[in-house]
Amino acid sequence: MANILTQNDIQHVDYKDVDLLKQFINPHGRMVSRKRGGLTAKQQRAVEAAVKRARFMGLLPYVQK
Amino acid sequence: MLECALHMTDDVSVIQKDDNSPESLLRIYEVGYHIIPTVKEEDIEGVVASIRTVIEKAGGSFIAEGAPVLMKLSYAMTAREGDKNVQYDRGYFGWIKFESSVEASETLNEALKADRTILRHIIFRTVREETRARMKIPTLREVRRTDVIKPAPHHVEDTSIAVSEVDLDKAIETLTTD
Repeated sequence: MANILTQNDIQHVDYKDVDLLKQFINPHGRMVSRKRGGLTAKQQRAVEAAVKRARFMGLLPYVQK
Repeated sequence: MLECALHMTDDVSVIQKDDNSPESLLRIYEVGYHIIPTVKEEDIEGVVASIRTVIEKAGGSFIAEGAPVLMKLSYAMTAREGDKNVQYDRGYFGWIKFESSVEASETLNEALKADRTILRHIIFRTVREETRARMKIPTLREVRRTDVIKPAPHHVEDTSIAVSEVDLDKAIETLTTD
């Protein structure tokens, strides 16, 4: 089963796509593992960078209670 | 042969010139910013114009832009106002994608740091192509908050048929005899 990025042919992950990034964070706001998210190593790095930018800009939480 | 060699040297010089020219050092950047929510709606355009002016003055060119929209932040951000810290939980979020030299991006960074109306900003290298995903994220279900979920009307069909007492007695008798 291909992941959501591969399925939709998404080459670049934008930090403003909060709904897309929410697919890769758990209810506590932490990133899900590559094994669970089913991403390639390259995609995981791109999502990781985007999540960190989104957190810094207050679009995503660092921690969610 | 000599002509060919000349051409070759020309080519090399052209390549070297290209590598050192300021055009080859132009890079694609994106700046994202939050304007403090106390700025009036009509003054937002002026703040954005000041950011655009800094980029233009530094020799940058614009590629794409997202207008500032008031949004709720995921956590409260602290900004220094005068001699005290103020916390904001909302901000006007906007972004600009532009092409410029490294120096121009540094100039913009300094300008945004000094700007008191900017709550927070980020500048990073990106690509010229559109990076926003054009897909609709699948959600489990969509229920609008205004919708009122009404219970389905419960239909009870009236299946009772008038039965005479004589027929009823007869039916009971047949049951008991069996």
